[in-house]
Amino acid sequence: MSRKFKDGILNGLTYISSIIGVLILGSIMVYLIVTGASSINWHLLSSDYYVETANAAVNEDYVYEAPGAYSGEGYYSKKWGVAFEDIVTAHKDEEIQVTYVDPNSPFNHMYSTVAGDDNAAISLTVGNTMQNIYYIDSATGEQVYLSQGSMESAENLVSVLDEAESIVSVNFQSLGGGIRGSIVSTLYLILISLLISLPIGIGAAIYLHEYAAKTKINSLIRQGIDTLTGVPSIIYGLMGVTVLFPVTQAFGATSTSILLGGLTLAIILLPTIISSTEEALIVVPQSLRDGSLSLGATKSQTIFKVVLPCAINGILTGVLLGIGRVIGESAALVYTTSTVINDNPTILSQGTSLALMIWSIMSGEQPNYELASAISLIILIIVFVINLVVKLIGKRLAKSFQ
Amino acid sequence: MEKCFEVRDLNLFYGEKQALKDINLDIYKNNVTALIGPSGCGKSTFLRCLDRMNDLVEGCKVVGQITKDGIDVNSDKQDVVDLRTKVGMVFQKPNPFPMSIFDNIAYGPRCQGLKDKKKLEEIVIKSLKDVALYDEVKDRLRDSAMGLSGGQQQRLCIARCIAMAPEVILMDEPTSALDPISTSKIEDLVLELKKDYTIVIVTHNMQQAARISDYTAFFLLGEMVEIDKTDVIFSKPSDQRTENYITGRFG
Amino acid sequence: MFADAKRIRRNKTLDKIFRYLFLGMAVLSASFIVIIVLFIFLKGIAPFLPGYEYGQVDLISFLTGSVYRQDQATYGVGFIVINTLICSFLALLLSFPLSVLTALFIAKIAPKKLGAAMQSVIELLASVPSVVFGIFASGVITAIVRYLASMMGISTFGGSSLLAVIILLAIMIFPTLTSMSITAIKAVDPDLESASLALGATKTQTNFKVVLTAAKSGIFAGAILGLGRAFGEATAVSMVAGNKLFGPTIDLFDITRTLTSTILTGLKETTGLDYDIRFSVGLVLIAVIFVSNWILNQVKKRIGNQV
Repeated sequence: MSRKFKDGILNGLTYISSIIGVLILGSIMVYLIVTGASSINWHLLSSDYYVETANAAVNEDYVYEAPGAYSGEGYYSKKWGVAFEDIVTAHKDEEIQVTYVDPNSPFNHMYSTVAGDDNAAISLTVGNTMQNIYYIDSATGEQVYLSQGSMESAENLVSVLDEAESIVSVNFQSLGGGIRGSIVSTLYLILISLLISLPIGIGAAIYLHEYAAKTKINSLIRQGIDTLTGVPSIIYGLMGVTVLFPVTQAFGATSTSILLGGLTLAIILLPTIISSTEEALIVVPQSLRDGSLSLGATKSQTIFKVVLPCAINGILTGVLLGIGRVIGESAALVYTTSTVINDNPTILSQGTSLALMIWSIMSGEQPNYELASAISLIILIIVFVINLVVKLIGKRLAKSFQ
Repeated sequence: MEKCFEVRDLNLFYGEKQALKDINLDIYKNNVTALIGPSGCGKSTFLRCLDRMNDLVEGCKVVGQITKDGIDVNSDKQDVVDLRTKVGMVFQKPNPFPMSIFDNIAYGPRCQGLKDKKKLEEIVIKSLKDVALYDEVKDRLRDSAMGLSGGQQQRLCIARCIAMAPEVILMDEPTSALDPISTSKIEDLVLELKKDYTIVIVTHNMQQAARISDYTAFFLLGEMVEIDKTDVIFSKPSDQRTENYITGRFG
Repeated sequence: MFADAKRIRRNKTLDKIFRYLFLGMAVLSASFIVIIVLFIFLKGIAPFLPGYEYGQVDLISFLTGSVYRQDQATYGVGFIVINTLICSFLALLLSFPLSVLTALFIAKIAPKKLGAAMQSVIELLASVPSVVFGIFASGVITAIVRYLASMMGISTFGGSSLLAVIILLAIMIFPTLTSMSITAIKAVDPDLESASLALGATKTQTNFKVVLTAAKSGIFAGAILGLGRAFGEATAVSMVAGNKLFGPTIDLFDITRTLTSTILTGLKETTGLDYDIRFSVGLVLIAVIFVSNWILNQVKKRIGNQV
């Protein structure tokens, strides 16, 4: 009886530990969903992070004719062909946002009054928020200034505008808070790092598995590659900025850049690519290599025509794991791509990946938990899907060649 | 009769272990030579010496001479790739590449740089016809070779070998993984092929050796006990050990 | 038949070229570890050499110092090393029993389907990026710490604390420890278990007494790996460490500072010595990981021998 009791307690402990593990994963997911899920929408994915302000004047000789019909959301000003609604932004500001602009609306026929823009054509677009307006009052014929505060609400703004005789100029902003730039940067990083680490990693794996005899030098090479796995990513970052920066300078980089981050990540990915390629090479039966060689193929022909095509699943696994690593990596990038969020990144400019953007907005003065959680959720979904696919490939790999 | 291989004082070591001891034998052109003996006697190892497949085994050392066309195959004068284009090999388990039937057979010629599509097609069709597989697969040349039955796969591997137009075909227990019907098809094929090729076949099955070979060599514990015309070996062998083996006292 | 001498020669040359190309790639891959250590050493040692452009720093006071203040240009990492060790070892202490029990559950105790599901949970946890753990830590773990502290009447710096770092690191190394333990447990010879069962031990007794003992070397290897991760974990830790200017920190509810958080924090607005000294801190981090790995591997050998 006491033995049974003791066994029960011990078994119970293992159950409790496992439940704690599940609770941890569960609470991470719940926290991120509660905080971030409501911020995920098309606007988040498609727009810039920074708010941009525009000052524009309406072309004086433009006459608005067709009172366009509109049946969508928001309050519609039939006179000016524009609709607004009240929103609260990701930064907790109350704003009046444009929901519709008629193609013929005067707001679509304006020119920028910002110095240096040379009166370039500009138009109010859906998603912009209204800051202030100058209009001519139809009763007094005088120019009136309507500040953001005195607009009060979308409904009020529409009623005021409908009374106006003409619009003189407007000041409006883009909404900001989007992650488009970081998505582009992340894609660049994935592309650069894989482009470099794939050939090197596959080549190294081929050498280790197909050529290397059991010599001291070869075991030293293997040890060197294995040790890379244990190096913390922040150390890779420090290495990148000292060793690889001159390399990027040769390509024309003047500061830390996405290229530098990509090169650093390429080195981080090497052990992953090498080990998953090698695991796949191990599964390829020796009889296929023998068959090819006995037909008079050279060793390299055998590798390229028979062995590598058979190992394609393992290489794919390496690529997927690599993508997951790049998407999640932050510490190595702080020193190499900088933490400056960039809405229009190029390969030689600074910029943040999605994960680094999280770090950037969380380490600022006012951490934005909603935006950070939303990005985290996106990252997690991608990483989990990758995980799933890798598992499926692994199952297929186990079945191939019997 | 013309000699294809002349083997003199061949010794082979895997590290410290000696796997072949002082082998001396001749292999004649357009004949089928069978190598028989109990498992582990070195007959497969010997076969793999003839196209230097043992090069791939780490720690394997070959001493002695194997002369083909007046050149020692292990010397620097003999290019190993060139040798393997002249000496083809068929393995114990069918090992088609995971590609289409067509690509499997075109593999060897393509590796040698043949790109002409018409020529490749000619070779593929002729090779398939030679192994009597063409009628069975002519409608699915572009399908994966992995979908064929075991016997078909082995005939495909022979066709793949023939496509290189070799002088010699080495067969390492080619029927041991096959059913009786497939086995008899392969045996018929071997008899057919010896008109054009020199064949050396390792077999576990003495009846098979008796049925298809002209010469039979008996191997035991790394030594070649004796070689003679097949009917002589099976009727009045000169060595007691050979007689014991073929009468089934051990093996 | 198809082979002409020219083509054979070309194929042979190509074959050789590829051989050396693959060798080159392997050597290149392996050489990165040397490059990393060498260059961080060169850059990290620079501030301590005479003639350093921002004024030579004393190596001894850097290594033993208990104050790290950029504004006073006082850089001492002695206390930071101790902090790092405290955080990592306590995290290991917290995570180790949970991981081993969970691994035992997955490998031996759970019904097959439940075990597979649990294994997926561990794999998912392992794939969560560091920065996401960071958000979770600064949103949830700090709240828990604040709550605990307020129950005891202690005030904290918004929950950022040694305790928060320990909990965070324990969670982050949990999947590593667990999956290494699972591998070790699954590698135990089934005959050993049968022998124990045949002697009249229950399944549970066998699991705890025989299986865990037989797997201890592999489990210990997991612990070493986990500890290495804890030392090197940067982004998430620096989100809740608080970056204290002096120390070491022993009070669980006080803020702390680790080597990694020191390298990361305040990077945006820094140049000169304060930038360069971070490479020295990186060098210290490499040394800490190397030395602790070496010591623990010696310990592992001892443990492995006395079965």
